[in-house]
Amino acid sequence: MDVIFWIATNIFGTPAILLGFIVLLGLLLQKKSTSQVISGTFKAIIGFLIIGAGAGVIVSSLSVFEPMWKEVFGLEASSLGQFMGQEAFNSKFGSAVTLSMFLGFLINVLLARFTRFKYIYLTGHMMFWTSTVFAGIAVHTAGGEASFWKLLIMLSVILGLYWTFQPAVTQPYMRKITGNNNIALGHTSASVALLGAWLGQLFGNKENDSEKLKVPKGLEFLRDPNVITALSMGTLFLIGAIILSFKDTPGATALIAQAGDQNFIIYAIIQSLTFAGGIAIVLMGVRMFIGELVPAFNGIATRLVPGAIPALDSPVVYPYAPNAVILGFLGAFAGAILWLVVLGATVSYIFVPTMIVLFFHGATAGVFGNATGGVRGALLGGFMTATVVAWGQFIMVRYLISSTVPDTAMWAADSDMFILGPIIRFLSQLFF
Amino acid sequence: MKILCVCGLGQGTSLILRMNVENVLKDMGVSADVEHMDVSSASGTSADFIITNNELAQSLQGHAAKIIIVNNYFDLEEIKNSLQEAL
Repeated sequence: MDVIFWIATNIFGTPAILLGFIVLLGLLLQKKSTSQVISGTFKAIIGFLIIGAGAGVIVSSLSVFEPMWKEVFGLEASSLGQFMGQEAFNSKFGSAVTLSMFLGFLINVLLARFTRFKYIYLTGHMMFWTSTVFAGIAVHTAGGEASFWKLLIMLSVILGLYWTFQPAVTQPYMRKITGNNNIALGHTSASVALLGAWLGQLFGNKENDSEKLKVPKGLEFLRDPNVITALSMGTLFLIGAIILSFKDTPGATALIAQAGDQNFIIYAIIQSLTFAGGIAIVLMGVRMFIGELVPAFNGIATRLVPGAIPALDSPVVYPYAPNAVILGFLGAFAGAILWLVVLGATVSYIFVPTMIVLFFHGATAGVFGNATGGVRGALLGGFMTATVVAWGQFIMVRYLISSTVPDTAMWAADSDMFILGPIIRFLSQLFF
Repeated sequence: MKILCVCGLGQGTSLILRMNVENVLKDMGVSADVEHMDVSSASGTSADFIITNNELAQSLQGHAAKIIIVNNYFDLEEIKNSLQEAL
């Protein structure tokens, strides 16, 4: 029994090591060379550990951003109470999250093999974030403690179903956009993409296709997420810092004191760039372990599922309507600013306008909206994205995930997770 | 030989491109070290070749690596033609 307990605690209970074993198995199955097996396994483990470190950097910056805007709006209540945080959550529930990704994928493969839904979900980083956020909701609903097996079973089944049917739901529009049935969308922007397509149909004008527009040159920097994150968060930190500099409230004075000898505005700008840096760290970690996992998943799927249609990351649709990408993002950006003010003024929630989500989801909704409703459809799709993301983030951070990983939900949770969140909560209530 | 596959965020799309490039290279009998990453990281990473799309190629101008443009990351034929031309 001691041996089993030791293995359970130290291998299955240590997410980084468990992940290392899964990746090792995948690399061996793919018959990779010895050096590839060794480097791949280590890269996966290191990548997973980097995520926690980067999450800490993001939290340090958010813990300036949040109180700062709270002061700007003159709010009492804080959006963030006591919570576990990504790093602690990963070390406690990371094994269930990692395994449920793997089992959820196997359910996806089995469904694709035996039903007419031939979609194989290959967007690994979204698999990780979806699993993490759903686990965060389940553990929060269960009161902070959840049995490993229950969590694993519930998550695997939900994820397996979601990864199979989400691409199926968006496929009619994907055929319209790409002109064939070779690839599907496997991304958590599916809900806003559909909203964009429906709104485009209702209110748009298909004749006024976005690709007839001339978009000014010089917007290329919008394609680099590091830059748009730094730019937009920098602007918001700057505005907040300037307003605060003119306030005499005790809260404002305390915040300004945190900067020490440094000018508060410079301090705030450095915080905004730190936020962008934290996200870059997390993404690098995710890239390192997902990069080893997805090829193994792909190998399994192509062997087991004849005629599989890969469900891929949202940028697959961008080349089909590059202008709609920009329009969708602009719609999302305008919406985000509007909802930042409205949420702060009405429900006292400081919305973190997470640019990666707004960009990739807004752009996807833009392409879908353009397919049915031209320029107007693209802009509406983008605006609806901001609406779902802003209100979704408020509901999720405050009510669905507040004791577990609200820090992650504030920048990495996105459209489909917000739409499905209440359902996950309801199922968790039944199950735990 | 080191090849970077690049997309905006360096998460999903560039990884799919990397898998397709690895397959094509295998068919061509070429062995190479292929990595995927985001456009910011790529601009500071040395490599022999960078494979990316037209828009991002503009952000990588001046990079020492030879830039290979592939517009459809899922079109194995296009990848193969571009690679054969460049290598």
